[in-house]
Formats: sequence, structure tokens, C-alpha cells
Amino acid sequence: MNTRKLTSIALAALLALGAMPGLADTVTLKVWGSQDNQALLGELVEEFKAANPGVEWDIALGVVSEADAQTRYSEDPAAAADIFAFANDQLRTLVSADSLSEIAGSRYEAVAAANTAGSVESATLDGTLYGFPMTADNGYFLYYDKSVFSAEDVLSLDKMLEVASAAGKKVFMDVSNGWYIASFFLGAGCVLDIGPDGKQVCDFNSPKGLAAAEAIRKFTADPAFLTGDDSVLQGGMGGSIAAGVSGTWNATAMQDKLGENYAAAPLPSFTCGGEQKHMASFIGTKLLGVNSLSANVKEAMLLAEHITGEAAQLRFFEQRALGPTNIAAAGNPAVLEDIALAALSAQSAWGVSQKNVLNGYWGPAEAFGLEMENKSTADLQGLLDQLVSQVTQ
Amino acid sequence: MAKNKRDPFYQRLAGGFNEYFRMFREGDAWTRLSYLIMGAGSFARGQIVKGLLFLSGEAAFVWFYAAFGWRYLKDFGSLGTNAQLRVWDEIDEVYRRVPGDNSMLILLYSVLTLAAILPLVMLWKANVRAAFKAQKIRESKQKPPGFITDLRTLLDSRFHMTLLSFPMVTLALFTALPIVFMVLIAFTNFDKAHQPPGSLFSWTGLANIRGVISSNPLYARSFGGILGWTFVWAVFATFSNYILGIVLALMINKKGIRLKRMWRTIFVTTIAIPQFVSLMLVSKMFTDTGVVNVILQRLRVVNSPIPFLTDANWARVMVIMVNIWVGIPYTMLMSTGILMNIPAELYESASIDGATPIQTFVSITMPYMLFVTGPYLITTFVGNINNFNVIYLLTAGGPATLDYYQGGKTDLLVTWLYKLTVNEQNYSLASTIGIFIFVIVAALSLTVYNLTGSVKKEDQFS
Repeated sequence: MNTRKLTSIALAALLALGAMPGLADTVTLKVWGSQDNQALLGELVEEFKAANPGVEWDIALGVVSEADAQTRYSEDPAAAADIFAFANDQLRTLVSADSLSEIAGSRYEAVAAANTAGSVESATLDGTLYGFPMTADNGYFLYYDKSVFSAEDVLSLDKMLEVASAAGKKVFMDVSNGWYIASFFLGAGCVLDIGPDGKQVCDFNSPKGLAAAEAIRKFTADPAFLTGDDSVLQGGMGGSIAAGVSGTWNATAMQDKLGENYAAAPLPSFTCGGEQKHMASFIGTKLLGVNSLSANVKEAMLLAEHITGEAAQLRFFEQRALGPTNIAAAGNPAVLEDIALAALSAQSAWGVSQKNVLNGYWGPAEAFGLEMENKSTADLQGLLDQLVSQVTQ
Repeated sequence: MAKNKRDPFYQRLAGGFNEYFRMFREGDAWTRLSYLIMGAGSFARGQIVKGLLFLSGEAAFVWFYAAFGWRYLKDFGSLGTNAQLRVWDEIDEVYRRVPGDNSMLILLYSVLTLAAILPLVMLWKANVRAAFKAQKIRESKQKPPGFITDLRTLLDSRFHMTLLSFPMVTLALFTALPIVFMVLIAFTNFDKAHQPPGSLFSWTGLANIRGVISSNPLYARSFGGILGWTFVWAVFATFSNYILGIVLALMINKKGIRLKRMWRTIFVTTIAIPQFVSLMLVSKMFTDTGVVNVILQRLRVVNSPIPFLTDANWARVMVIMVNIWVGIPYTMLMSTGILMNIPAELYESASIDGATPIQTFVSITMPYMLFVTGPYLITTFVGNINNFNVIYLLTAGGPATLDYYQGGKTDLLVTWLYKLTVNEQNYSLASTIGIFIFVIVAALSLTVYNLTGSVKKEDQFS
């Protein structure tokens, strides 16, 4: 079908109907959210319908995780959801395909005032706001077992490895994953940014990067080091694993496993070229975007506002333990007391925005991490040069 | 096959044209008019319905071009120049999009529009021939057949047309046209930086193909490396399954083996579980903290986990081994039937001559099997070159490597292509690789197929 024609007909129809007040017309909206959020999204949609009578709402929910949103969107923008949740590292790709409807005017003022400056910045590109901040927890920090480590031990990675070795336990970190491995490079002061030509800028092969890579090699060679995916951490925490780098989505599992000994802290510092450097982390938010090709942009904006409002964010925290971006919700006592969110918020001092990372970074970074985990003896500088040439391709 | 009777292509083409020149020379005014206004000849000879059909076909074509096709076809050269615009809506305080050009739709509909010329040419030829034929019939003082009579022939002398028209149309629409569309993408810069409707893409000629072959060292190295492994994989995956499947079938068929049915059933049960389920489970079993490594470590066979899926060489061996495990039952089933068909006298005379079991296998069983299953082997080989399931579900192409552009050490061309499309939105590069895969696979299968015994000694099958 001719989508252009369809879109213009739909637009015309919308304008015509909008000009006739009091007429109950059907507004069809499609919302994409992750599997875990479906129940809550369903409730919020029902509330929205009840709060906005006089319109025949036809709102459908679809399961698309925040990580897959951009991929699924680009498969067929015209058939994609009107509102979709996405991780803010996809912001640049989505904007370059003109996928997101800008949030401007009084709506921008309201969103910018209600949400933390960091979360608004994470949804902003070249001065334009492209998404409603939804949750501010797309980051990682350290979970640890209080019975093994003291609060002082977890300040330094070297100390942690020493204590863990003595106790016959492991320190878990998924080094063969670009998201986590960047912690060392960014902590050492390397740059991962977007150049004026829109290409990735990366200096992981600088002397600073080399020092970080040497630290990674030392870490992965330590007998107390353990890698794996989330299931490994969830299975081993409290048993063979005494500390692990992960994010808030594992908070409940960690709490279950550790019980009394559950604790969380910012990432430790590591020895980098003879100096102590604090491990950095990617800090990302999850945003709710409105499809620029939506036939009902205005209604979609209203619903998105409702899903990301203060009351909704508090419920996301209560039911899903997701960290709020809304200033009022983030100031709620229950949120402030949350151990995992407190650690994340402390780590955010060393946070680096993830929106400046292009898709091409993840594969090569994973490959480099694998080389380290496999205890490769290859020349580090050579590997880093390869990494950078791939990432900046 | 009567190859020698076939004219070279261009002679046939010229012959085709000549016929229409001849009909134009010999035709009267009405027939000549049919060359321009379709159906004119048929009208003049009283074949009204037929004439109407020809005329409406031409009208439909003109309407299609004017109302739809031309809008896209005029931008075919540039693939669009105006990206979509945004307009501020004061009242609702939202930006609304004003649709602009969309390179992908321009390309897609241009292909469709160009392809619409084909049915027109066919209709035009039918129209000219019909006009000329009707003229000849009139000249011999006879009445040309009416519409009903013509329709009847569709159930009789032209029954093949009735049967084949539907499959041909669907084949052209759903197979041929998409392929042309996707091949054309290889000559554009449709990648993550050029995603319509936000930013348009344009023609880049042979840049992608040059990139893969030489001008982009990283692409070229990745392509070469992944192609090499694809072949190693295809050879091992095909022949290991084939030979081991035959050996297994032979062992079960051997006289003196008891409970043959039970053995066969046990091996076939692996087919009962969906392949992807087995593969996903196996990939979990062989991780560093998976069940296999845990058992090996508990038994003190190894001290540290074996990197089954994270070391390049291990991973490559593993995918081949697991493929044997999921693939053998199929070969076993197939060869059981064929093995039972080998004449027993051959084996008897061999044993009288004192042949060892290995000699019988090499000189009787294998040649017989190869003769019968040659074409099957080729399809399996080609299938393995494009064996997405086993690789993607087991290792997802990993372990990732810095040697290849966004690829891993067990990536086949087809899984690499998948990653480039889905993760990188590099559709043009993926399309280029797709063309390469097609050329390689087509050349290989045609050559090997023509060399197999089943083709060369087609008539000697006993």
C-alpha cells in the first residue's frame, strides 16, 4: 500500500475530525513496552482512558523490550507503535531516521521542570527533547556480600580480589560485554563520543587506554575473577560469588540470594598505570518516545505524559523497582531508602552518557573483552588499535 | 535435449522483431492501427470483447503510469531529494510531519512500475498477432472465432496457460520482484546513516562491491575470513553427517544386531524435539558455568572451564559436533532405505572374492550411495552454506573477534549478513554479500550437479 497516501489521508482525517468538537471519534494508539512492564502499562492505559472520556480509545499494547525498540521500529516505521519505550543509547539512531516526535512548547517546559536535569539531558539531542524520561536506572554498580567484604574493602578492586581469593570466592563482572568493559576505559579517562561527522570517536588505543587494558588483563587473569551472563550472577551470588557488577534489574534476585548480607555500593577504584582510578559506568535512561509518523501525535503525547508522570513512576518503582526520573518521585522516602538505587545514584558521579555510543561499538568491544577473558597473550596495543579502527569504521 | 537447434539469443531476438515488421508490412490499416491503439484490429473484425480487453489493458497501463507509477519513476535516478518536513502545530503544540520523498518506496515502486511494462509488452504482442490472424481469416472469407470460442481454448488447447498463469503471476510478484529490489539495494548507500524517511539514500554504483572485494580492507578481510570458514563448515557439516549417518545405518542394518527397531527409534527421537530447542539447550550446557564444565570440574578432569563456545577453535569444533548430533538421524533414515535396495548379489560375490568389510564399503556401498544421493548431497551442501539455525542458535556467530567487521569466528556469511542488517542497519552491504552468496552457491551447485553420476548416467540407473 501507499503509506504516504495513507498517512496524509489519516492526517487530513484527524484534522477534519479535530475541527468538529464534541464528536466522539476513535483514536487508535499502539504502545510498545517490555514484557515485565505489560501489567502496569495496562493499568495506566485504563486509567488514561477513564480520565479522558468523550473519545473512543482503542489502545493496544505490544511486547517489545526497550533494547529492541529501535531495531523493531526501523523494520517498518509506519507500522511501528505510536508510543514506544527505548533505552536512550538508541536516541541518535532514532533521531537520524526522524523517528521521534519532538517535545516542544509548554509540554517541554513541563517535562523539563518535572524531571531530573540528567534525565532530561539524556533525552535531548542538539537542544531538542525527543522523549519522555521514564526510568533512570539503566546503569550498573556493585552488589556485594556483607559477610565477605567490609564497606572499606569495596572501595578498591585490588583489595576486593585479595579478600575474595582468601575467602575462596569470586568477583563477578561480564567483561566480554561492551557495556561493562567500558567501565575501565572511561574510568581511565578515555573518550567515547560522537564526532562532527556523526561517526564514533574513540581513543581506547591511547596510552590511557593501554593502561586500562593492562588493568583489565590483570583483573581477568586473577583467580578470583568470574565472568558470565546474568544467570551466572543470579545462580552464584551468596554461594561462590561474593560480589558482582550489575544493575537494578537484578536487585530483587540479589536480595533473595543474600538476605541479611545484601549490600550495594558504587563501583570500586582500580589500579591504572600505578594510579588509583575510579571505575566509570555507562549511565542511561529509558525513555518513552512518540513515533513521528503517528496519526495521533497529540493523543500519543498525552498518553506518554500519563505513563511517565509522578504517580506512574512511583508505581514503576513499587512494582518493578525501577528508579524514577521524576524529581518528586525520586524524593519519595521509599525511593531514597532503596539500597540498589542509592548505590546507582552514588555511582552516577562517574557516569558517562550512553547516548553517545553508536551501535558499531558493542561488537568489537565484546570481542576485545573475550580476548581478555580467554587470557590472550596478543599485543594489547595491537588489539586496541584494531578495536578503535572497527569502532570508528 | 535439442541444443543444436537453438539459435543464439540475439538471432532469436532479431527473429522476434522481424516477425512484427513482417506483420506490419503485410497488415492492412486496421492491423497497423493495432500497433498503436491496441484492440483496433479485433474491433474491425467483429471481435468486440477481445478488442475491449486489449484496449482496456492499454488504458489501465496508461492510467497506472499517470496516476501512480510516474510519481515514483521520475525520482528513480536520484531516489528522492526532499526528506520529510516537520511543521509546528500551534494549537496542539506538536510537530506534525509533512511527508517527503522516501527512497525505499521510490525504489520499490519504481521496480514495480518498470516491471509493469512486461505484461504490457506481452499484451501488445498478443494484440498484434490477434489482429494479423483475424485479418488473414477475414481474407480467406471466414469468420474469426468469437470470444466464447477463444475462452474455450483455455480449457483445451491452451490449458497449460490456465494452469500456469496463477503460479507465474505470484512467482513474479512475490519472488522475482523482491529479488530485483534487494539486488538494487546493493548499489545504493542504504545504511544506518541513510534511513528514510528521515535521511534519504542514493545510488553509489559499484562502491559496495568494490568495498567487499578490495577498497575497504576491513570488509574485504572479514568477507574472506568468513567465506573461508563458511566453506570449511559446509564441507565438514555435510560430509560428517553423510558418512556417519550411513555408518550408523549400516551398523543397525547389520545381520545379528538385535532390537533394530528400538535403535532406530532412539535415534529418531532427536528429530521429535524441535531443532531450535535442542540447540538453545546445548548452547547453555556448554557455557563456562554450564552443566558440562561443572561435571568435568567436579570429576577433576579439568581445573578451569573449557572454553567450548568462547574459544574460536573449540567453538568451531563444537558447532560441527552438535550439527552431527542433530543431523545424523535424517541421513540414517534416508540411507536405511537406499542400503536395503543395494542388490545382495554384489555383496555375496564380493565376499566370495574375499573382500574385507572396508573394501566392500568403499567399492560397493559408497559408489551406490553416491550415485543415488548425489543431488541430495548438493542441496545439503548449499543448505549448510546457508545454515542459519545451527550457527545462530548455538553460538550466534561468536566468539566475537576484532579480525572481522561486526562478526564472530563461527559466523557464516548468512549469519553475518543477518547481523549487518539487524544490528547495523547496513542493508546495502548485506545486500552485496547476498549477491556474492548467490553467485557462489549457484556456480558451485550447477558445476557439481552436472558432474554427478546421477546426471551424466541418467539413463543407466538400475
